[in-house]
Amino acid sequence: MRLEHWLYTILLRLRSLFQRNRVERELGEELQYHFQRKIEENLARGMSREKATRAARRDFGGFEQSKEECRDMRRVNWLQDAMQDLRYAARTLARNPAFALIAIVTLALGIGANTAIFSVVHATLLEPLPYPHPEQLVELRQTESAPGEYPLTGEDYLDWRSQNSTFSDMSLYSWPIVVNASGADAPEAVSEIATQANFFQLLGVSPQIGRPFAVGEDRKGADRVVVLSDAFWKTHFGGRADALGKTLELNSNPYTIIGVVPAWFRDPGDADLWVPLDMSLQNIGRRGNHNWRGIGRIKSGVTLEQARADLRTIAERLEKQFPDSNRNVDAVVIPMHEWLVGGFREQLWIMFGAVGLVLLIACANVANLLLARSTSRRREIAVRVALGAGKARLLRQLLTESLLLALVGGFIGVIVAYTSVSLLRGVLTDVLPQPNPLRVGWVPVLFTFLICVAAGVLFGLAPALQSSSVESSDALKSKGSAHSGASRHGTWLRNTLVASEIALSLALLTSASLLLRTFENLRNTNLGIQPDHVLTAAVKLPGVRYKTPDQSWEFYNQLLQKLAASPGVRAVALTSKLPLRGGMNGYILIPGKQTEEQTGPLVESSYISLGYFRAMGIPLLAGRDFTRADLEDTAKVQQEMTSAKSRAEADAINKKYALPSVINETMANAFWPGEEPIGKIFQHGHTFRIIGVVGDANQGNVRGAVMPEAYYGMPMLLDTPGWTFNVVARSSGAPESLMDAVRAAVASLDKSLALFHVRTMPQVIAETMTTTQYETVLLLSMAALALLLAAVGTYGVMSYVVGQRTNEIGIRMALGARPKQILAMAVRQAFLLVAVGIVVGWAGAAGGAKAMQTMLFHVPPFDPATYASVSAVLALVALAACWIPVRRAMRVDPMVALRDE
Amino acid sequence: MSKPSDLVQGTLDLLLLKILALQPLNGLAISERLKQISGDVLQVSDGSLYPALHKLEQQGWIASEWKLSENNRRAKFYSLTRLGRRHLEKEAGNWNRLSAAISHVIKLKEA
Repeated sequence: MRLEHWLYTILLRLRSLFQRNRVERELGEELQYHFQRKIEENLARGMSREKATRAARRDFGGFEQSKEECRDMRRVNWLQDAMQDLRYAARTLARNPAFALIAIVTLALGIGANTAIFSVVHATLLEPLPYPHPEQLVELRQTESAPGEYPLTGEDYLDWRSQNSTFSDMSLYSWPIVVNASGADAPEAVSEIATQANFFQLLGVSPQIGRPFAVGEDRKGADRVVVLSDAFWKTHFGGRADALGKTLELNSNPYTIIGVVPAWFRDPGDADLWVPLDMSLQNIGRRGNHNWRGIGRIKSGVTLEQARADLRTIAERLEKQFPDSNRNVDAVVIPMHEWLVGGFREQLWIMFGAVGLVLLIACANVANLLLARSTSRRREIAVRVALGAGKARLLRQLLTESLLLALVGGFIGVIVAYTSVSLLRGVLTDVLPQPNPLRVGWVPVLFTFLICVAAGVLFGLAPALQSSSVESSDALKSKGSAHSGASRHGTWLRNTLVASEIALSLALLTSASLLLRTFENLRNTNLGIQPDHVLTAAVKLPGVRYKTPDQSWEFYNQLLQKLAASPGVRAVALTSKLPLRGGMNGYILIPGKQTEEQTGPLVESSYISLGYFRAMGIPLLAGRDFTRADLEDTAKVQQEMTSAKSRAEADAINKKYALPSVINETMANAFWPGEEPIGKIFQHGHTFRIIGVVGDANQGNVRGAVMPEAYYGMPMLLDTPGWTFNVVARSSGAPESLMDAVRAAVASLDKSLALFHVRTMPQVIAETMTTTQYETVLLLSMAALALLLAAVGTYGVMSYVVGQRTNEIGIRMALGARPKQILAMAVRQAFLLVAVGIVVGWAGAAGGAKAMQTMLFHVPPFDPATYASVSAVLALVALAACWIPVRRAMRVDPMVALRDE
Repeated sequence: MSKPSDLVQGTLDLLLLKILALQPLNGLAISERLKQISGDVLQVSDGSLYPALHKLEQQGWIASEWKLSENNRRAKFYSLTRLGRRHLEKEAGNWNRLSAAISHVIKLKEA
């Protein structure tokens, strides 16, 4: 259609719409004119007035129908009708507030839960990262001889950066580390990330005030500068711009504040503050030490595959050039978004699916309510049909009602979602990577609108179809009870809806129970330690003031002595890493099993003080624990090594001594199966002799297998200044009671030191399970909601069915049927429904369980016990929902029931 | 119902446009003119005439105006618009091609 034409017709339609009365009047006048003239003509032909009128009417055909068709031709009818239907629907709902309330609350819960979870899915999975050209951003990783992917080595990174042709830039940054920040008050532990100077420019983030790092500020010996997070700036400097230029003391070194990043900045690289990373090779380390994270920005027009191939070529070249350190070291390029949220995709979609099921149940419930109501509205509908309402028109009116319900429910649902999202935000911040702020934005609201419309049609269509196919003569005659044939179809539909509600709830409940079992299994897993009564806290000695290993060693020994003397402390020790918190690992060499050229097996390594096994509750299985003399030897050898002038001299020292080491059971069984491990020698930088074997303690997470692990004396780490050690204190009472004692002991030795990560061991364990915990809580609440809705739905339908049969029950009672028989009759009917629902539900549950298999731990996805108990619970709830209305019906006086007919 | 079942779908529109192309008329007059020119071949009930007129008006092919009729009463007169004239030319051309093709087919001798 041409524009001119288009505008013209638009105006005409607007006229029809807004000058409705006038158009209507003119239409009447126009037809009336025609009609009158016809009559006049007929009169002129000599007919009587009566005859003339009749003839004119016959010629014309249906007068009103013609008018209606004219209105239809004006094409705006639907809008007028919709407004009329809407007003009518609102009136109908207002007349039936109980029905409207139940339907709207049900829908608001279902839609609200959907909007909330969708908001999470949207912010996490669907929205691109909030950086310019986020598709160009990648995380850089490396492979090794051992399986898995690893952080970058500094030296390889420098080669990648200088030799590649596909990246516009790359940047190196650290994991968040905890540092002592001292302001005016007590020292405080804050998280810090060291980044290459180009970090913020590469991401495309400009500070809200101040500047990012400048070129060269990541050189060794450059001025110390720091960029603050928005939160840190607001809490410590009141969000004032004069924070710029002020000095912050970190680990006893003064840093000048140069900028504050925007509030939205989070992943990758979230911390309280950022400092430049010293990019000297001495600091970032040689090949083989995987210590750093790397990000890259791919040049525009270059594909991910091309970038990958480019880095792989460089990695291959390096492998040839440095066969010792770079064997099997390949480049891994992962899109940034995938790297951040990839691990959560499956869980989130499962949650989204689950909440979708809740909505389906809610829809089934409302459909059931509408069906029950449509029976009582049959006469109204029949009257409309008799008055000439077309089937399509009727359908439209009924659908308008359900859409109105859905939209009102959706509106309240959005409010529900706002509240739940602010709750979720608090909870999920620690669990989910949230590159984008979690909020109910316009996309989730639009999504809600769409699901409202879909839900409205979904739960409204079946009842509407059924109602509009009413045979008017039938319905007008009957009193609106369920005896007539048209409602047989309705009964079938109702039963199907109830059965599907039961099936859906069963699927959800089963999934939730499987997760609950998983969570229990995780909690009950024997971790190889005795976590109760154990308090842990991390300390870090700033390298500026504790320059030599001796100074650190002395501090730690004094700390242990002070703590051991504190009341309530039964055992105390220090360790470089806590169980379940991950840590360091390295390749060892077992003389006689591997030669120098081969890469030996990978083992975890822990550096501990005296008494660690006792404090943590790890049993000694063979040999002996470390003695004071062992650790002093270690310290002495460490010192000799540090002061060694040459590589040859260090090698000689290394050959001379074999340092004591205690290994775990897995390591003993893996490398010396069937042999006596005590006294065996292995090399891990130094030469070690095994003096004892202890029980396995889980290093990574509860789900993971225990790795081979070697424990060394802690003095070995003291030559690296600024290493973090964990105090492990076992109390006689509640572990929290030791908190003050530990703080006091540290403060009495060094006032500027902050304790961080102060937690009980059970808390440390719980932290590794937060994801599972939240998944379980979320899924359980959805399942509970589903169960409640299904119970309400079953109850509603059974009350309706029983209500329809009240007089039948009355007759039976009057004829002498015993209550038990009546009850059995009703329960039989209900039981069939429940049984069908449960069997179908099993199939759904199996599908759900299969989808979430990776989330489960030590629970088979088809665990019979879970399926059986969930089915039993559901059957009980459903039967209870039937029993209440049946009992009510049986209490009715037979006479009343009969009179009702 | 008052559907013009005897009329080939769409031809009523064409006829109405053609009639109005000759002169503006009111509904009654159009109805009479229709009977007059097509004789008994095309039967259009009065009831189905008005919806057709309203449709053409909504499409912008014809416009309406209240005027006094020959017996001095207010009646709604329809006239062809500029758009309608162009449309009529196009449709008439189509019709000619179609009817020529059909009569050609009908005239084919059976083998």
